[in-house]
Amino acid sequence: MARLVDLAQVLRSKNAGALLCTLDMMFEDEATYRRVLDSGAINVQRIADLYGVSDNEVSIIPYDVAYAIKVTIPRLARSGDPADSDIYGAQQHAPLLDIEIPD
Amino acid sequence: MPEMRMMATTGMLGYGYTEEAFRRGLAQKPDFIAADGGSMDPGPYYLGEGIPFVSRKAMKRDLALMIEAGIEHNIPVLVGSAGGGGSDPQVAFVREIAEEIAREKGLSFRMAVIHAEQPKDFIKQKIGEGKVAPLGPIADLTEEDVDESHRVVGMMGVEPFQKALEDGAQVVIAGRATDASIYSAIPLMRGYDPGLVWHLAKIIECAGQVTTPRPGQDCVLGTLTDDHFLVEPGHPDKRCTRMRIAAHTLYENPSPYHLVEPDGTLVTTESEYEQVDPRVVRVRGSRFEASNRYTVKLEGVKETGYRTVFIAGVRDPVLIAGIDGFIESCHERVAGEMANLGIGRESYTLNIRVYGKDATMGVREPVRRTAAHEIGVLVDVLADDEDTSKAVMAKARYALLHTDFPGRKCISGNLAIPFSPSDMPVGMTYGFNVWHTMELDDPLAPFPIDMIDV
Repeated sequence: MARLVDLAQVLRSKNAGALLCTLDMMFEDEATYRRVLDSGAINVQRIADLYGVSDNEVSIIPYDVAYAIKVTIPRLARSGDPADSDIYGAQQHAPLLDIEIPD
Repeated sequence: MPEMRMMATTGMLGYGYTEEAFRRGLAQKPDFIAADGGSMDPGPYYLGEGIPFVSRKAMKRDLALMIEAGIEHNIPVLVGSAGGGGSDPQVAFVREIAEEIAREKGLSFRMAVIHAEQPKDFIKQKIGEGKVAPLGPIADLTEEDVDESHRVVGMMGVEPFQKALEDGAQVVIAGRATDASIYSAIPLMRGYDPGLVWHLAKIIECAGQVTTPRPGQDCVLGTLTDDHFLVEPGHPDKRCTRMRIAAHTLYENPSPYHLVEPDGTLVTTESEYEQVDPRVVRVRGSRFEASNRYTVKLEGVKETGYRTVFIAGVRDPVLIAGIDGFIESCHERVAGEMANLGIGRESYTLNIRVYGKDATMGVREPVRRTAAHEIGVLVDVLADDEDTSKAVMAKARYALLHTDFPGRKCISGNLAIPFSPSDMPVGMTYGFNVWHTMELDDPLAPFPIDMIDV
């Protein structure tokens, strides 16, 4: 068992426009990427639970060529709205760090 | 087909680039040089106010080198999304800098200034025709939304750039434009493959973002041929790696495989990335699927009130342990005090965030109990006028400083306030209320061009 933070080279979040937040996990090599992807630990239900969104709001796209997994969810609030706390969306990745990936 | 070369100086006009990379790039004889000038990442305020989010000095420095070199080598210089949001006042700001550069350097050239602000009547007409649709999780655009908006821009494609160049412009200062249109306009005019053109444009629009080592913005060169393109950094100490280039389509997009432009979609599912040498990456196989409809993105903001901000620290462990209940009681107290002044809760928004606890992620924060020995309280008030905003903040400050809580021993004050004055009025704020697409019959019509002999 390993935590995602120990396997990923990049774990980042960013706006994809003013309404969406996109979370990228990138891995150093194909073996690590495959291990994480094939584990099934990064799934719609897990992301929905972690971020308190519904299943149908989560998009997960594996991107083989860059050994990356892209997750996109709605922002908590529109960028710049009174309830928004992260205009660029750059600090919304932390809940991903502790996802456990089986050996 | 002969090679065509382009240089992106910086991912954001005003974020800078090194002169070393720029000179080295120029020596490779690019067919044009360009820079993106905008982003909505800094939020709705800058579009609302019509001001840039970089300094005038930084913008002038970046633009002056480009214009001088463009005139000297007789190649076009393109800037898109000028001034940050690409609205009329932001475009005028950059135009004025370009004119100042021309005066100071004794240069003369033909300049196109392309507008991107959209008249309310035009958007309403398009709503009536059923040509406006949400772009993501937002409701349909209504006429009321449009009336309520303060400023709306449309995101142009390549056509206005191409028209400006056909009409003889050497320098183009364009309003809001898709980042990739800035770099795609000229190669598409010359007949290069749209899949390769759009993909290269998408990669180099962020300039130094695709190079390594990472720190700082810098120039990037793209070279197109009939069946591939090459990307390399301008700076001799930097490299483009296969992974960095492949990863770039992930950045700020919901999908790395499909990137939507006004007249179609760049598809990278079959793109191949190859490291040619330690600094250069070759890409092939990218496709562009043309759409039968021409749609531009609309970005618009409305006024959301005058903001006042206050920040303070809490070091008392009893208060930290009970901070949630304490803040709740402060909200109640402020509401009561404001009612005494005849100001109801509907007249303002009072937002108290606790840094060290959940201010960054709000309800999405998985850690519910802070382990911090000190926390930061950030208070902000929004109200329809500045006086009300300041009045609510004055009460909120007093309430936070002096409201009792269970076990309280620090009875002379609950906060460490770092500044005097403590309350910071920041003026009008804005919120995005238009984030939609609009279908056009003519890609040029909503983007009028002024031709100016500088």
